[in-house]
Amino acid sequence: MKRSTLFIRLLYPMLVALVVYAMPPLASAAKVGEAAPDFTGTASNGKTFHLSDYRGKYVVLEWHNNGCPYVRKQYNSGNMQRLQKQWTGQGVVWFTILSSAPGKQGYVTAAEENDYMAKMQAVPTAALLDPTGEIGHLYDAKTSPHMFVINPQGVVIYDGAIDDKPTTELSDVPGATNYVSLALEQAMAGKQVVTAATRPYGCSVKYADATH
Amino acid sequence: MLLCAASARAAGTPIPHGTLELIAEKQGIEAGRTFDVGLRFQLEKGWHIYWVNPGDSGEPPRAEWQLPAGLSAGAIEWPTPRRFETSSIVDYGYEDAVLLIVPMHAEASLAAQPTARLDAKVRLLVCSHEMCIPGKAELSLTLPIKAQPPAPEARSVALSAADLFAAARKSLPRPAPGNWKFSVTDVGDSFVLTANIGHLNTSHLVTQAVFFPLAESQIENAAPQKLSPVAAGFRLTLRKSNQLLKPIARLKGVLVLSEHSPEHSLVDQSYLIDVPVGKPGAVSRSYALGIHPVESLKEGSRI
Repeated sequence: MKRSTLFIRLLYPMLVALVVYAMPPLASAAKVGEAAPDFTGTASNGKTFHLSDYRGKYVVLEWHNNGCPYVRKQYNSGNMQRLQKQWTGQGVVWFTILSSAPGKQGYVTAAEENDYMAKMQAVPTAALLDPTGEIGHLYDAKTSPHMFVINPQGVVIYDGAIDDKPTTELSDVPGATNYVSLALEQAMAGKQVVTAATRPYGCSVKYADATH
Repeated sequence: MLLCAASARAAGTPIPHGTLELIAEKQGIEAGRTFDVGLRFQLEKGWHIYWVNPGDSGEPPRAEWQLPAGLSAGAIEWPTPRRFETSSIVDYGYEDAVLLIVPMHAEASLAAQPTARLDAKVRLLVCSHEMCIPGKAELSLTLPIKAQPPAPEARSVALSAADLFAAARKSLPRPAPGNWKFSVTDVGDSFVLTANIGHLNTSHLVTQAVFFPLAESQIENAAPQKLSPVAAGFRLTLRKSNQLLKPIARLKGVLVLSEHSPEHSLVDQSYLIDVPVGKPGAVSRSYALGIHPVESLKEGSRI
């Protein structure tokens, strides 16, 4: 066996295994009741955003992939845009986050994302491009859409699905209970968020492969 | 000609990256009895559908039945799934081909009819690692109603309906042996499942154990499931889901064990378990599930 073959067959998998096991536990990322991990993101408009700059405001994080049928359900029905408009109109900061890796479904360039937002009339505070998956892994975002709500103290108060209808059917949007709106309404009224975590539903986030 | 015989039954309906077919195990319905039909998925390489708990993403297929009076459909009997892993995301489902058996009950009153037509509207999601495509299929099957037990359906293709149903039944999880004892302890960030399977010698070893939870958002699907041997059995540590904020009363699911025994060199067995969750130190009653798979899956499918 040649040295290089030995490396690929034996040592490389061992190294990969070491790296994988050395990674911090997945569950320690973002959790309801705990401080939201800080991040810096570059938006499709070229600006840089730091989560920590928005202490004192509610922040919504929306994981996005424009090719995913569950995301299309929200955008083609106009529901996501309505929510963005409604809540940013009340001072909420809304980040749409794109964690698809290059070559995978939902990966777009900054210009493509700007065109998409113009066409769909999407009005988040900003669309953050996260092709390395850094922010996605920090929050352990599983699906598109996967939604988080962070309160003015910087604590995660909601983690999960956008609503209670885990389907791709546009007709399910009108009758759905929207968990993000519910969490914001309850928190703004000084109440405890009743449904603080649900199973996020949708397509898996198309992260860069862990190994090559 | 053989092909002509096959065309009497509807061919597979196209779905994204595959076909779906409604098939019956037997050529007719015996009034007053229960019989099995099945949704047979055949998928292109690299594409999968989902288990009753799809895991981190996806959605299980759902069938909406339109049946004549006197016929009623039971819940899907879900075969043991496999894991689909991509970095930090783990889904549960099936690739290649799978038959989802649906038990049907025919009332005695059906005997007055010559045939019965079964219609199913199936909504499904087909995914690869790269993308997901929703699909719909409208399936139909007309079966004669017979006074005598019907014969197994003959198929012109390599596998007979009887073979397909027999293989599907083999892949269903079954109740664990009655003398096995399970307990689950809530240790804060994890659940510890302890199994006493009564094998004190090393001739019978569990070399791998994988737990598939029936309820969503109980365990972190992507977290490693740590297996450690204990006296007369093993222990499996399952990290809790980020979305699990409240205590749970029971942990239900399918436990797949790779067993190493003198008779079988290495075999995978899957068992349905339903275990109460206790706090550390508390004595919890444990038992192996002794009910029919259909019932337990139906009950656990939506929490």
